[in-house]
Amino acid sequence: MEAVEVEGLHAGYGATPVLVDVHLTVPTGRGVCVVGENGVGKSTLLRCVSGLQEVESGKITVFGGDPGATPEFWRAVVTTVEPPTWYPGLTAREHAELVCRAHGQEPGEAGIDEALERFGLAKHADAIPPSLSSGQKQRLVLAIALLRPSSLLILDEPEQRLDREGRADVAGLLADYMAGGGSLLMASHDDDFAIASGAAITTMESLSAVAG
Amino acid sequence: MTTVPLAPVRRWILRTQSAHRERGATLSSLYIGALTVAIIGGMLHRQLAEVFWPPHPDASGLAGASLTALLYGLLYLALRRFGPLALSRAAASWLLTAPVSRRSLLIPSLRIAALVAAVIGALAGVAIVGHTAPRTPPVALLVTAGALLGLVLLLIAAAAQAGGRWGVAVDTLMSLVFAAGFAGLVTDTTLDQPVAVTAWPPARTLVPLIAGVALVVLIASALVVRGLARTPSDHILDASRTAGTLFDTAFGMEPSFLTDMIERRYWSRRRLRSVALPLASRLPVLTAQDVLLTLRRRRRLLTLVFLAAFPLLLGNAPAWLLGAAVLLGTLTAAMTATGNVRTDAGNAVLLRLLGLSSRQAVLQRLWVPGVLAALWSAAALTALDLLGDLPPGPWWALGLALGPVGAAAAVHRARAGFVRNDLLPLDTPMGTLSTGPLVNAVMGPDLLLLGLPALLEIAQHNPLSWTTVLVQAVVGVIGARAYVSGTTETTRTELHAS
Repeated sequence: MEAVEVEGLHAGYGATPVLVDVHLTVPTGRGVCVVGENGVGKSTLLRCVSGLQEVESGKITVFGGDPGATPEFWRAVVTTVEPPTWYPGLTAREHAELVCRAHGQEPGEAGIDEALERFGLAKHADAIPPSLSSGQKQRLVLAIALLRPSSLLILDEPEQRLDREGRADVAGLLADYMAGGGSLLMASHDDDFAIASGAAITTMESLSAVAG
Repeated sequence: MTTVPLAPVRRWILRTQSAHRERGATLSSLYIGALTVAIIGGMLHRQLAEVFWPPHPDASGLAGASLTALLYGLLYLALRRFGPLALSRAAASWLLTAPVSRRSLLIPSLRIAALVAAVIGALAGVAIVGHTAPRTPPVALLVTAGALLGLVLLLIAAAAQAGGRWGVAVDTLMSLVFAAGFAGLVTDTTLDQPVAVTAWPPARTLVPLIAGVALVVLIASALVVRGLARTPSDHILDASRTAGTLFDTAFGMEPSFLTDMIERRYWSRRRLRSVALPLASRLPVLTAQDVLLTLRRRRRLLTLVFLAAFPLLLGNAPAWLLGAAVLLGTLTAAMTATGNVRTDAGNAVLLRLLGLSSRQAVLQRLWVPGVLAALWSAAALTALDLLGDLPPGPWWALGLALGPVGAAAAVHRARAGFVRNDLLPLDTPMGTLSTGPLVNAVMGPDLLLLGLPALLEIAQHNPLSWTTVLVQAVVGVIGARAYVSGTTETTRTELHAS
C-alpha cells in the first residue's frame, strides 16, 4: 500500500484553478519533496492531501483510505501546513509534554529536552508560545511534530527560518524518520535540504499531466 | 527636535474625514443617539428611579459605606483597565509616532475621561444618597462630592498610567477596597437590626470640606496635565488597543474579541515555569492540563470563593431570582477552566496533533469545570443555608449535584465560537433585531435548564429532601451525557458546536 496516492486532482480558490490534473505517489517508507516557485500550488497540494481543503475532482488516498477528520487519520499523520494555535497558560515544554502524553509516551523517554535543545528552544522552554518569534514558533511545531509517533509527515517548507546547521540537523532527522519506516511529503525551496533528507525531488509542473 | 503644532493637524484630519461623510450624517447620528436615550429613558424610568432614588431610603449606614467602597473602587479599576487615557487606533498609529506635543495629543482624552468619571461619580453619589440618606438639603452637596471623588480617582488613575510601579500597588489597594465593599454588603444582609443613617453632617461642615477637595482636584489636574508628556508610549498603545477592541466588540456584537484580548494580556504578563502535568499518570491527559491551567489562576479561584457569598445579597429578592443567580454562578465557576475548550473550538489544529476525537476531548474537559461548579454551588448554597435564607435540608448536596450542569453549560458556552451573522433577522415594532448575537448569548446558559429541579426547589422555598437531590443528580448526569453524545463524535476531531 502506498502512503499517498493522488490521481487527477483539481483544486482551487473560487474561480482560480491552482491544481489541474495532479498525479502524485509517495511510497510507504519513502519521501517526496515538491519544489517550485511561490504560488504554484505546493501548499494547496499538501492541504488537499491532509484533508484540510476541499477538492473539486480527483482522488486522494492516504494509506489506502480517505484523508479526513477522523482521529485515526490524525494519529497516523502529522502536518505543519496550518498556522499553529496554542493553549492558554501552557509553556512551550508543556505543549510538547501534552502531545507526547496524548500519544502514550513518557516525556523523559520521548526526549523532549533533547528536541528543544536541537531546535534551539532550550532557553525558551518556559515561554508561552505566543511570546516566541515566528521562527521559534515554527521550530517548536516541527520539534513537536517529530517527537510524537506517526506514519506520515506532511511538512510545508520545514527549512524556513532555520540556520544552516539547523537545516542539516532537521534533514538528518527526516532521513532517520524514513529509515524507521515513516513516509514524508514536503514542499521546499531548498534543493540541498531535500537531497540531504533523502526525499525524491519533484516539481509541481511534473506532477500535472496538463502542464507536462 | 521640532515639535509640530497639533491643532492644525487635527483640524485637517477632521475636515478631510467630514468631506467623506454624507451631508448631515453627524446631525443624524446625534439625533438617533438622543432619540435612543429618550426612548430607553421613557421605557425604564420607573426602574431607573428605583435604582437611583427609591421612594424612601432603604439601606443602612453600613450598606451605604459598603456601596461607596464598591462603586468607587469599581470606577477606579474600570478607569485603569481602559487607560484611562487612550487614543483611537488611527491616532495611536499616526500621531503618537509624529513629532507633535504628547500633552496636546492626550488632553482631549483626559477631558472626555474627566467628564465620564465625574458623571459616573455623581450618579453613584445620587444612588448612595438615595438609598441611605434622609433627603435633607445637603443632597446636592453630596452629589457634588460624588462627582469630585470620581475626578480624584481619574487623576490618580491617569498619574498611575504615566507613573511607575506604585500604580500596581494602588490597583491592589483599590481591589481590596472593592472586596471590602462587597464583604460589607454581605455582612449587612446578615445583620438583624442594621443602623440607619439619621442625619448628614451639616452644610457648614460639608461646604469647606468639598471646597477643599475641589481645590485639591484643581491643583492635581494641573500636575497631571504637566506630567502627561511623560506617559509611556506602550501604556497609551495598550489603552488604545483596549478601546479599539471594545469598539470592535460593540459594533461587531462579538464578545469573544474582548475575552480573547483579556486572556492574551493576562498570560503575556505571567512568568511561568514548566512543570510536569499534575497527576498525569492518573488523570486523562486533557483533564490534567485543565488542572494545571486552573491551578495557575489562583486569583480567579480566590474571586470565586468571594463570589460564593454573592447570592447572600439576594436574600430579600424573589426566591426564583436567587435560584437563577445560583445557577449563573455555577456556570461562571465552571467557565474558569474552559479556556482550553475555547482554543480547540476556535481551531482544531492542536486536537489533530493530539490525535483525539471530539468525544474524548469533551469528556476529558468536563471534569475540572464540573468539580469547580460543584464546589462553588455547594459553598454558595451552604452559606445561604447557614444564614437562614433557605428552608432546612441537605443544600450542600444539591450544590454538588449541580456540578455536571455547570460543566455542560460552561463547555457548551466555550464551544459557541463567533457570533453568526447569517441568521434571519427578526422584524419587531421597534426595528429589526439581528438574531445571531441573541443565539450566541444563550448558548451555554441554555443548558442551565438541566438545573431546573434545583431552581424549582429554591423558588418554592420548601424543605429540601434527598429525593430532590437525587433527581437533580440524575438529570444533571444524564443531561450532560446526552449533550456529549449529541454534539460530539468518535470519528471527528472538530469541536465546534453543531
